[in-house]
Amino acid sequence: MAGGGNNRSRLLLVILLVTSLFLITLDLRGVSITKNSRNATQSFLAPIQRGVSDLFSPVGNFFSDVKNFGKTKTELRDLKRENAKLRKKVILNKDTTGQLKKLKNVLDLAGRGSYKVVSARVIGKGSSYTFSQTITIDAGSNDGVKKDMTVMGELGLVGVVKSTTATSAIVLLMSDPTFRIGVRIARSQSIGVLMGEGDSNYALQLLDPSGSIEKGDVLLSLGSDNNKPFVPGLPVGYVKDVKNTSATLTQEASVRSYSNLGSIGVVSVIVKSTNGGPKDALIPRPTPTPTTTIYVTQSPTPEASPSQSSKAKN
Amino acid sequence: MIQEAAISKINFPISGFSLYLCVLLGLMALEDKFGAIALGFIGGIILDLSPSSDSPFGKWSLILTLVGYLFSRNRESIGDFTERPVAFILFVSAGATSTLLIFLIFGIILGENNGAILNNLQTVVGNGIWTLLFSSILLPGLVKLRQFTLTSRERI
Repeated sequence: MAGGGNNRSRLLLVILLVTSLFLITLDLRGVSITKNSRNATQSFLAPIQRGVSDLFSPVGNFFSDVKNFGKTKTELRDLKRENAKLRKKVILNKDTTGQLKKLKNVLDLAGRGSYKVVSARVIGKGSSYTFSQTITIDAGSNDGVKKDMTVMGELGLVGVVKSTTATSAIVLLMSDPTFRIGVRIARSQSIGVLMGEGDSNYALQLLDPSGSIEKGDVLLSLGSDNNKPFVPGLPVGYVKDVKNTSATLTQEASVRSYSNLGSIGVVSVIVKSTNGGPKDALIPRPTPTPTTTIYVTQSPTPEASPSQSSKAKN
Repeated sequence: MIQEAAISKINFPISGFSLYLCVLLGLMALEDKFGAIALGFIGGIILDLSPSSDSPFGKWSLILTLVGYLFSRNRESIGDFTERPVAFILFVSAGATSTLLIFLIFGIILGENNGAILNNLQTVVGNGIWTLLFSSILLPGLVKLRQFTLTSRERI
C-alpha cells in the first residue's frame, strides 16, 4: 500500500512539476493567457481588496508607531510647546499691529499740529485704590520727558505728565477729578475751564458770561505759558449737553472727550510746540454719513371692479 | 487578499511577514505526501494569480510543489506534528525561509533581476524570524482546524 502511495505521489509530483514548467514556458514565451488570468483576478479582487484595505488601514503603521512611541510623545510635547510659543507670537503681533495703528494716528495728529513728540507705550495703569486716574508710560527723563508736559493720544488730549523717572513717567489722565484745563470753543472762541469727573464725562464752565455753547461744539486746549502744562490747539472733546441753569452766572455744559482713556495703548508726550500752536488746524472733521435715497415709483392705476362697471352701465 | 490588503501594509522591522506562506506551509506540513504536493501546487497557482506577483506564471507553483514534496519527505522522519508543536513551528519557519531561498535561486536561473543580494537575504531572514514568531500564534489554531475537517476514516 505504502509503495503504491509513494508511486502515486511521485506521479503527481512529476505531473505537477511538468505542468508548472509548462506554465513558466508559456509565460516566458509571452502567451497572453497567463497575463489575462492575472488581470481577471485583479478586477475580481479589487473591490474586495479595497474594502479589506480600508478595514485594515489603521494597523499599517502599528510597528513603527510602537517603535517610535517615546519619540512621538517627545515630538508631540515639543510641538505643543512650539504651538504655544507661536500662539503667543500671534497675539503679540496682533497687539503690535494695533499699537502701530494707534501710534500712526498719534503721529499724524502730532504732525498736523507741528508738535515735536516723544512716543511711548502705556505700561501700567494706576490702581483704583489710589483714587487718582493715572497711567505709566515707558518714556522718561532720558527721552526728554519732563513734568507738566502735555500727553496726547490718537484723537486728542490724554493728560499731563505728573512725575518722571529716567525711563518712565506717570501721566495724570484728564478724567481725574483733580484735572483742570483751560479750553477754547472752536466755533465761538469762548473760553472756559474743563474739569474731570472721574469717568468719561467732563464738566465745562465758561469764563465769559456772554459766551455761548452749543451741543456739538469742539473744545481745543487754550494753552499755558511756555506750553506747560498744556500746549494750545489740541482737541480735548466736544459738548454733549448744555446745562440751562439760571442760578449760575456763566453757562455750563457736559463734555465728552475724544480720547477713549479706557483703551489707551500708545501716547505721545509733546516736548515742543510751535509758537502760537496749530490754531484750529486740529479740529476733528466730521465723518460724512451716507445719505439714504428713496425712489418712489407710481403704482399702475387699478382696473375698475365688475360691480362698479355694472353701476356705470345702469 | 488579507496578505496584500493588510499584512503587506504593516511596516515590519527588518522585513515583511507572509501570512499566506505561513498558513500554506502549516497546512502542507499537516498533510500526507500526496496532499502536501497537491496543496503546494494549488497554493502556488494562487500565488501566481496574485496581481502583484512579478515572476513568471507557474514559478510559485513549481517551487511550492517541490517544497510540498520536501515537506512530505521530511515529515515522515519527524513524525506527528500535532504532538510536537515546537518542532512544527520550527519546521514551518524553516520551510518559509527555504521557499524564499529556492524562489531566489530559481529567479537567478531564469535570469530575473531580484535586486541586491544583501537586501534579498535580509528579506529571507526577516521573513523567517517573523514566521517563527507568528506561527506560534497561528499554527495551534491551524491544527485544530485541520482536525475539525478530518473525515472519520482519517481520524482512525
